[in-house]
Amino acid sequence: MNKIIEVANLTKKYKGKTAVDALSFSVFEGEILGLLGPNGSGKSTTINCILSLLSIDEGKITIFGQEMKPSAYEIKKEIGVVFQDVAVFDELTVIDNIRYFCGLYIKDKKVREVYIEEAIQLVGLEEFKKYYPKQLSGGLLRRLNIACGISHKPKLIFFDEPTVAVDPQSRNNILDGMKTLNKNGATIIYTTHYMEEVEFLCHRVIILDKGKIIESGTIDELKSLSNIEEKISVEVNNLKKSIISDIAKWEQVESVDYENGILIVTYQKGKNNLAGLIHYFKENRIEYNKIFSERPTLNDVFLELTGKGLRD
Amino acid sequence: MFHQFIYSLKTLCKNKMLLFWTFAFPIILGTFFSLAFSNIENSEKLDVFPIAIVNNDAFQNRKILQETFKNLGEEGNENQLFTITYVEKEEEAANLLEEGTIEGYLHLEEEAKVIVKKSGIHQTILKVATEEMLQMEMMVQVDIEKEIQENLKNGIALDVTQEYFEQIASNIGHQLQEKMGIKDISSSHLSYTMIEFYTLIAMTCLYGGILGMTSIHQNLPNKSEVGKRVSVSPISKGKLIFSSVLSSFLVQLFGLFLLFLYTIFVLKVDYGNKLFFIILLAFVGSLAGLSLGIFIATFLKANENVKTGVMIAMTMLGCFLSGMMGITMKYIVDTHLPIVNKINPASRITDGFYSLYYYDTLDRFYGNVFSLLFFALLLLLLSMYQLRRQTYDSI
Repeated sequence: MNKIIEVANLTKKYKGKTAVDALSFSVFEGEILGLLGPNGSGKSTTINCILSLLSIDEGKITIFGQEMKPSAYEIKKEIGVVFQDVAVFDELTVIDNIRYFCGLYIKDKKVREVYIEEAIQLVGLEEFKKYYPKQLSGGLLRRLNIACGISHKPKLIFFDEPTVAVDPQSRNNILDGMKTLNKNGATIIYTTHYMEEVEFLCHRVIILDKGKIIESGTIDELKSLSNIEEKISVEVNNLKKSIISDIAKWEQVESVDYENGILIVTYQKGKNNLAGLIHYFKENRIEYNKIFSERPTLNDVFLELTGKGLRD
Repeated sequence: MFHQFIYSLKTLCKNKMLLFWTFAFPIILGTFFSLAFSNIENSEKLDVFPIAIVNNDAFQNRKILQETFKNLGEEGNENQLFTITYVEKEEEAANLLEEGTIEGYLHLEEEAKVIVKKSGIHQTILKVATEEMLQMEMMVQVDIEKEIQENLKNGIALDVTQEYFEQIASNIGHQLQEKMGIKDISSSHLSYTMIEFYTLIAMTCLYGGILGMTSIHQNLPNKSEVGKRVSVSPISKGKLIFSSVLSSFLVQLFGLFLLFLYTIFVLKVDYGNKLFFIILLAFVGSLAGLSLGIFIATFLKANENVKTGVMIAMTMLGCFLSGMMGITMKYIVDTHLPIVNKINPASRITDGFYSLYYYDTLDRFYGNVFSLLFFALLLLLLSMYQLRRQTYDSI
């Protein structure tokens, strides 16, 4: 696969602190790359450096085989950006906002109008073309923000946490839209701290913390790094401490937590863990409500790697 | 670039805050001036008014000053500014002032003192006229001395007759008439409230700075979200800012055009008959205002609301110092802190209109135009330098 972006040894310092620390990675044509990390991990700074919005202290950034710099207008023509905060004109209607931003890239008026219609359809704003941003809900505003960033049909799109504080309907619309854009050939870089979105969308993930890459790979590759094979949750009241310490002694058990009537048992490996736990409860005449088993999530992986959750 | 220009124009024309400060506020303030000052004007027309002079030895020895006051106080003389009562002692003059018979009096000892009881247009004229006369007297004395020296070299005696002094006094009186604004070149009744309308136009010109600030904010990634978005587009920062500033300038000029229409046709303000020069000064004044806004937006590290507040405050202060709330303030600043009004664009605009209205020659007018152009170009160059070399450490 062709490399669309190559970041080599990118370092960005700000007020004596290292925000991005010798970051190196590549983005390949046609993929959706997730940049995953907690707040302040350096995701947005990395994107802003790649886009030449920020000066860099060290390193080199290459996009479409050419060095990226503020005056690299030929590269910029092929890039679309959806920023974390909504970036539209309050004084322009939905369609005029999209027209303005699309017009910065597409000179041909006829082509532009076709592209604008397609962008409006993609984000589902057909009924709101004549609305002003202040008349839109938070979710619809985010959709407009996306339409303004992608209407010129860029080959490379950056999405910086586009679903923050968005209602479920708009979130689904945004995620579906991103999949459609990717199917149509766009390479996407997507930053978020919502791991379920990453699991749903991304082909590959880079996990950042404190400006450094702590792990990268496909979702399955990352999950395989985890010591946890299985996690079983049980709704059970008044569980004795002796039972908890008893379970914790089992050979394949990694950890046992009991909080607010929920027992969580994580297993390193092994088969028939669920059956074994049910059998143990029966033998000890422990009554429980719900019991279910799940595979480890990216959050579990992240927790293991960094010692903290993604949304901390 | 035309695309950016058109949409920039659209956003400016729909920005209610900008429209208020650029279009509505000057019109509201103009209406207020018209209502508030028309009565003052009626009660305080620039006509001949009474003063007293302490006719002591010191005054008797100042021949040029004596003749000039005589000229300005002569009934039926086209130069007449005052009706003068000559008194022997200062106490008499003070009594006349206390009674309200005179507006002020001149008392010459080692220094010339102008004593007034209140502030107003008559008092200001008396003070300014006396100061101008003293300056001219000094210049004439130097000239006479030079002439005597020259004549002595050539063996000719200068004939310093009474007629000679009267001629000098008449010349000074004529020049003073022009300086004090008594000469009416528009063939209409002289309006003291004109200075208020000049400062109003100056204020409108400087409010263009708010538009200039918006132009910068909309195009820089560290100033706004929209600025971030346009900064990743394939259009250069220079083109983006230029098209935005151009549209701001047009909106600003349109705002001024509306203000002129409103004041001329609704408020019946007479700006005289030098329309081309009026437009030229408004154009250059707007450029100065726009540049000031661009300069503040570029250099001041604060959010947009704070910057707008600074711009409005600077404009109002500038207009206040140039006489918006009373001509006396302009006089005080011109006399005691002339440098302030030299660098105050509001004062330069006001003074430009003032000179256009009161003088036959355009020297002073062009002086103001060039000062404003220099001011605008300096701020624009500094801003361009800063914007060109700017890289962002954080946004």
